[in-house]
Amino acid sequence: MRTLFQALVLSAAGAVLGLAGNRLTPQPARLGEPLVAAADAPGAMCQLAGGRLPVAPRISVEEAAPLCVACSALFVDARSAAEYAAGHITGALHLSPGEAPDPVLWRLGAYHTIVVYDRDPSCAQADQVAKLLLERGVQDVRVLTGAWPAWAAAGAPEASGPCAACGAHPQGGPP
Amino acid sequence: MRRALVLGSRVALGAIFLWAAATKVPDMAGFAKDVANYRLLPPALVPSVAAIVVGIEVVAGLALVSGVGARAAALVAGGMLVAFVGGLSQALLRGIDLRCGCFGGDEAATWGTVARDLVLLVPAAVVLWVSPGRGEPDATKLEHLDASAAKR
Repeated sequence: MRTLFQALVLSAAGAVLGLAGNRLTPQPARLGEPLVAAADAPGAMCQLAGGRLPVAPRISVEEAAPLCVACSALFVDARSAAEYAAGHITGALHLSPGEAPDPVLWRLGAYHTIVVYDRDPSCAQADQVAKLLLERGVQDVRVLTGAWPAWAAAGAPEASGPCAACGAHPQGGPP
Repeated sequence: MRRALVLGSRVALGAIFLWAAATKVPDMAGFAKDVANYRLLPPALVPSVAAIVVGIEVVAGLALVSGVGARAAALVAGGMLVAFVGGLSQALLRGIDLRCGCFGGDEAATWGTVARDLVLLVPAAVVLWVSPGRGEPDATKLEHLDASAAKR
């Protein structure tokens, strides 16, 4: 009985510590704000689609848009060249799943985070490109949940035209 | 032999709980998302429960490693492990594909994860049922009493 009482005291102390200490952590949980499962969040179907594990961690449009504005992430468009030319995330490189990533790898090294997106909420093509990049040693590769439709719907920065920055390094090697 | 078994069990279990908490602290928001994916709690409670889980892991881990209130901490740890096993099992049986959230990172929830939590119940049970204090005086108290008697 005494052990049970002590266990309750320990649990209560832990609860207080957890709730009070949460705000001191680098990325605290937002207490009081409802949090639904990823599969129920808008544009999150690719998180769990097809019973497969995601190849790369996901990033939402809300999280990714500031990275685009601050240029702290590089976006990679995994759709077709025609779709890219019609409209893409500002500054994004174009890299289809069938293309070798080597010519653009030197550009990726300048960014901490690489965000890959495609057209489809299943994120299948983006996953393929993310897998390619991870295999080539790129560290922080994420896939945009909701894909291009979610980005466009959010009114986040976008541009159009062919990919001018997709060629090999001018000196033939990394800068 | 028995003392060594209890000591090893509580220190190992406590260290694992402290490590589990340490991996979650840098990204509490991410851990809260993992908790939400279990689909066990009302969305409004998810962030608070995530924070509470980490806090209890810290307190139980410290108690186990230090030996202060170790049996109670083992009871708490065991209760948490049972809850983890239940949460993981229901997710796997319902076909929910998710990260377990056990030690941060992207570790997937599998039946192997369930088995690991079940194995961790063993040291919790050892501390709870084999350690001094269950129907007999605590060894540290005995030593204290012996020292007091010697002084007299």
